[in-house]
Amino acid sequence: MDDLNPLAGTAHLLEEVDKKLMVLLRDGRTLIGYLRSVDQFANLVLQRTIERIHVGNQYGDIPRGVFIIRGENVVLLGEIDREKEQKLPLKEISVDEILDAQRREQEQRQEKHRLVSKALKERGLAVNAELINEDFC
Amino acid sequence: MLPLSLLKTAQSHPMLVELKNGETYNGHLVSCDSWMNINLRDVICTSKDGDRFWRMPECYIRGSTIKYLRIPDEVIDMVKEDAQSKSRNRTELNKNRVANSANQRTARSGNRNNFGNRSGQLSGGSGNNALRVGASGQGNRLLAQNNKNRK
Repeated sequence: MDDLNPLAGTAHLLEEVDKKLMVLLRDGRTLIGYLRSVDQFANLVLQRTIERIHVGNQYGDIPRGVFIIRGENVVLLGEIDREKEQKLPLKEISVDEILDAQRREQEQRQEKHRLVSKALKERGLAVNAELINEDFC
Repeated sequence: MLPLSLLKTAQSHPMLVELKNGETYNGHLVSCDSWMNINLRDVICTSKDGDRFWRMPECYIRGSTIKYLRIPDEVIDMVKEDAQSKSRNRTELNKNRVANSANQRTARSGNRNNFGNRSGQLSGGSGNNALRVGASGQGNRLLAQNNKNRK
């Protein structure tokens, strides 16, 4: 790499600016938009952002506009491959449908949590429902 | 344009702030600082589950509790215009600077003569006077010249 480039070999986001990115937040939400700006805290500015909700092999997009995301809430981000985007193995459905599907999924998950904590309680373990990892269910 | 500069540009615009705990605050941005602490006006707070609301005339949010802010689309366009007008100003400023520096060069040489004369009169006095006059770099150069003259 160019030795004169002070950023050579350091992790940075400058090359992602103006690209279409998918950003995963710590709360599990997925945002897709054009990265317009970053700073030293990895605070991000996303333009023409959509929130994409996945349930099973279906997804729905909600238009959200411009975001200023505080860097510490970002888990990961990556460029969207425009070609692969055209042939996703997923089915797009309307916002209402995906929100409905998401609500059902959430209810199922809560029911599962209830059963798990009940089973644990019967075996003498008191566990805070919020601490149960999804992977154990 | 850094994210925090964009936030500053969004002052007086409506915005939605979501905190890490899931609460959202809708209001007009009054002010912000480099820690992302913000003041909002005419605020509606919404609980995490979205079914309870509170209205308040104003509120202050500590930057570290923020997850993200959503701002109106047009603010980004304002930034672009801002940047353009700034760069236009800068080129004009540079033009002026070039012109000014040409003027200054002639002016400065005139000053130097005046100053030299004046401190020439002073130079008979104590060195303190000369030192005080010579606080600026230019003065020092003149001082050296004067000293040379004195010798």
